[in-house]
Amino acid sequence: MPDMRAAYGMALLEIGQNNTNVVVLGADTTDSLKTAGFGREFPDRLFNVGIAEGNMVSMAAGLAYSGKIPFASTYAIFLPGRAVDQIRNNIAYPSRDDRRGLNVKLVASHGGLSVGPDGGSHQQLEDIAIMRAIPNFTVLVPADAASVYTLTHAMVKQYGPFYMRMARSKTAIIYDEYIIPHMQPGKAITLRDGSDCTIAACGITVAMALEAADTLHREGISCRVLDTFSIKPIDNTALEKAARDTGIILTCEEHNILGGMGSAVAESVSSSYPVMVRRLGVDDTFGESARDTQVSDLLAQHGLSSINITKHVRQLVR
Amino acid sequence: MHSRYDIIRRNTLKARTLIVKATAAAGSGHPGGSFSMAEILGCLFYKHMRYDAANPCWEGRDRLVLSKGHAAPGLFSHLAISGFIPESEVETLRSLGSRLQGHPDMKCPGVEFCGGSLGTGLSYSVGMALSARMDGLDSRIYTVIGDGESDEGQIWEATMAAAKFKLDNLTVILDRNYVQQDSYTEGVMPLDAAATGPNPNPVAARNDPTLWRTSDKWRAFGWHVIEVDGHRIEQIDSAIRGAKQVSGRPSIIIARTVKGKGVRHMEDNPQWHGKAPSPEMVPIILDELKSQAAVAPSIIAGDMTRLDLEVKRCDGAGPDYIHMDVMDGIFVPTVTFGYEKIRELRPLTDIPFDSHLMISQPARHVKKYAEAGSDIITVHAEVCSVSEFGEIHDYLKGVDVGVGVAVNPQTPIPPWLKEFVPTLDQFIVMSVVPGRSGQKYIYESHQKTRTIIQSLNEHGFGGVVEADGGVNTLNVADCFDDGARVFVGGSSMVGQPDMKQAIDDIRGRISYARQRMLLHRAHSLGGSKLVHDWIALHVVGEQSDTLNKIARESSLL
Repeated sequence: MPDMRAAYGMALLEIGQNNTNVVVLGADTTDSLKTAGFGREFPDRLFNVGIAEGNMVSMAAGLAYSGKIPFASTYAIFLPGRAVDQIRNNIAYPSRDDRRGLNVKLVASHGGLSVGPDGGSHQQLEDIAIMRAIPNFTVLVPADAASVYTLTHAMVKQYGPFYMRMARSKTAIIYDEYIIPHMQPGKAITLRDGSDCTIAACGITVAMALEAADTLHREGISCRVLDTFSIKPIDNTALEKAARDTGIILTCEEHNILGGMGSAVAESVSSSYPVMVRRLGVDDTFGESARDTQVSDLLAQHGLSSINITKHVRQLVR
Repeated sequence: MHSRYDIIRRNTLKARTLIVKATAAAGSGHPGGSFSMAEILGCLFYKHMRYDAANPCWEGRDRLVLSKGHAAPGLFSHLAISGFIPESEVETLRSLGSRLQGHPDMKCPGVEFCGGSLGTGLSYSVGMALSARMDGLDSRIYTVIGDGESDEGQIWEATMAAAKFKLDNLTVILDRNYVQQDSYTEGVMPLDAAATGPNPNPVAARNDPTLWRTSDKWRAFGWHVIEVDGHRIEQIDSAIRGAKQVSGRPSIIIARTVKGKGVRHMEDNPQWHGKAPSPEMVPIILDELKSQAAVAPSIIAGDMTRLDLEVKRCDGAGPDYIHMDVMDGIFVPTVTFGYEKIRELRPLTDIPFDSHLMISQPARHVKKYAEAGSDIITVHAEVCSVSEFGEIHDYLKGVDVGVGVAVNPQTPIPPWLKEFVPTLDQFIVMSVVPGRSGQKYIYESHQKTRTIIQSLNEHGFGGVVEADGGVNTLNVADCFDDGARVFVGGSSMVGQPDMKQAIDDIRGRISYARQRMLLHRAHSLGGSKLVHDWIALHVVGEQSDTLNKIARESSLL
C-alpha cells in the first residue's frame, strides 16, 4: 500500500459496499483524504460540507444519532484542533442506556510534525492529549497503511466514537498482512521481544523504534518494541508486563510530550508497576516548516530519530 | 388552522406553569427563553409532531432538536405534558441524579439532542434530515434556534449546508426574542442591521417591520422564510403547515417573540435570561399566568353586507379570536349568517373563529360549522338535552374543535352539564338577551358570572368563561374581576372607527384589572412588604410606576 490515506480510502470503499449505513463527511479535503473515491462510488453517501469542520462534526453526530455510521475526515489540526466543542458535546457526551457517545468515526490525516512544509500552524501536536481527555472516545494512532486498513474495518464493527490519526507522509511497512490478525483497539502489539528495555511507539515512530532496536541488538542490548497504536484504551496488561520484564520504558511519539501516548504509558505503569519511563516527543513547543526532503531533520531536531532513541536507551540501561 | 387551537393554548399555559415550578424548585435555570418559545413548542407537540411517548425512539417519529438548549425547562415541561415523563418530575430539574439536567440530555426520554453548547443543533439537524431522507422516512426535523445563538458562525455553516443538500424535511424555528444573556441582541450583536443604534430597544425592533433584516439573511442563504408573531398559535400553525408544502428547500419560521412572555416582570428583561423566580413569588406568578385574557370582536356589529371587510378589519386589529354570532331566526328572532358564510370568510385570516351558535337543534348542524373552519364552537344550553350536548361534545372533541356552552341571562347552569365540565373549553355567560348587537350590559350578569364560575370550578373546569354582551371599556375590568377571561366586543370593538385602538383600550382596562388582582394576591400572601417586592421586580419601562399607582389606589401600600 502506498500510504495511509490510500489505505483508508480503500477500506471505506469496501465497507461501503457491505454496509449501506456507512456515510462519509469531508471538509473540502475529500481528495486529499482519499474519500472522494467513496463519493464517486456512493454519491448519495458522501457529504462535502466545505471548509466548515465544526459543522461537519455536528452533522456527523446527527447522522450517527439517526443510525448511520459516519466517517468524518479532514486534517488533524482542524478536527480536535478546531472542533473540540462539537466533538465533546455532540459526539462524546450523548449517551442513552448502555450506548456511550455517538457512533462517529473521526479519522484525521496530517498528524504531527511530519506534515512538514505547511509549517507549525498545520502540525497538530496536541490532538492525542485533547482526545484522550474526552470520555467515551477510543484514540488510535496506527503505524502504517496496513494498520489503518485493519483499524478502519475494526471501527465499523465496534460501536462508539473513535479518533484515528494518520500521518501525511508515506510510511514504512511495519506489518506484512493487509488485515493484521491480532490488531484490535485496546491491545498493544509486541513487534520485538526483549528484556533490557521496552520502547513504546505509535505512528511513524514505530519504524524508528524498530530500527533502534536492531542497532541496540547488535550492541547486545535487548529491546522489546511495543506498537501502542491504541492510546485509549491503553493496554495496561502489556505495559505492566513490559515494566516487570524490562524495568525501563522509553516512549516515542510525534506529539507534545505533555498528555500524549508517553503520558498514557507513564500513567498506566505508575499505578501498576512503577518503573523509569523516558518520554521522547516534542518538548512543549511548536513545529516549523520543513521541505519534504527535510522532514526527517525536523523530526530529529525534536529528538524523533532512531539515533536519538538508541542514545537514550544506552543511557537508561547502563 | 383546522383546529386544536384550544388544546395548544391550554397545554402551553400548563407548560408555563411547569416552567415556573421547575425553575423555582431548582433555584436556577432559564425561564425567559423557555417562555418565549412556549407557543412554538405547543404547536409542535400538540398538533404537528408525530411521536409516541411510550416508545420515544419510534422510527417514524418527527424529531425536535432544541438547539437553544438553555431553554431546557421549556422542553421538559412539554415532554411532561405529552407523557414522556411524569409531570411531578419537572421539579427535579437540575437536581443531583435527575434525568432533567440543566440542559437537555438523552437521559430524559424524548430528548433527541444534548444541547447546551450553542450553535451546533442546526448542523446536527442537517445530519438527521440527511439520514431521514436516505432512509426514505417522511419524518420531519424541527429545530428551534435562538437569536443570541445566531451569533455562532456554525449556524450559518449549517444554513449553507441545508440549502446545498436541499433539505425540505427540515423546518427551523427561530425564537426571535431580542434578548440574550448580556443585554438586547441588537446591542450585543445585531441580527437586524437596521435596528442598531445607541440605545437599541427590543419593543421598537420587534414592532417595526422596516427594521427587520433577519429574513433577508436566510433568504439569501437559499431558505424559504416565513415570518410570524411567535405567540400567535394560529400563525405558527399556519407557518408550520406552509413549510411542509415547500419542496427542494429548507424552511425557517422567524417567530418574533417576547423573552419571558406571560410573566410581565420577566418580559423583555435580560435579567430573566437565566434566573429562577423566588419561591415567594411563585403563587403570584402562577395567578398571573392563569389570568391571561383574550378579546373576541363580533363582526355582526359591523357592516353585515360586507362581512369579508369586517374580518379583514379584525385581522388588522389583532384580536385573539373573531367572534361569529350565528343566528337562525328561530332560537333568536334575528338571522345573521350560517356555516356557508363562515366557510367563505375562513381563508381571509388565520385568527381563530369563535363560533357562537344561537340556533335551535345545534346537534344537527354542528358538524357543518366545524368543517367550515370554526376553532371553538359554543352551543346554547337552552336548546340542548344531555344526550344532544353529549353528541356535540364528543363530535367536537373528536375533530379537535373547542367546545363551549352558552346560557342566556335568564338561564341557570344546566344540571346536566356537570359531567362535561372538566373537558369543557368555554362557557359563555350572555349579558344581553341575544338577538341583536348594541344592547346594554345587564348588571346582574356580574353576580351570575361569579356564581357560575364558582360552580364550574367546583366541578374541575379547565376552560375559560367568556363575557358576551354589552362589554366595553367601562365594564370590562369588572367582568375580569368576575372571573371572565374572554371578552366579546360588538359595538365597543367592531363598531369603533379605529378597531385596533378600541381593542388596545379594552386590553389596557383588562391589564389594569389583572395587575390589581395580582397586587391584591401579593398583599394577601405577604402584606405590603410583598406588594412592594412584587412591584420592585417590574423594572422594565414604566411598569413599576403603574403598579405603584394601582397599589396606592387600592390602598395596598
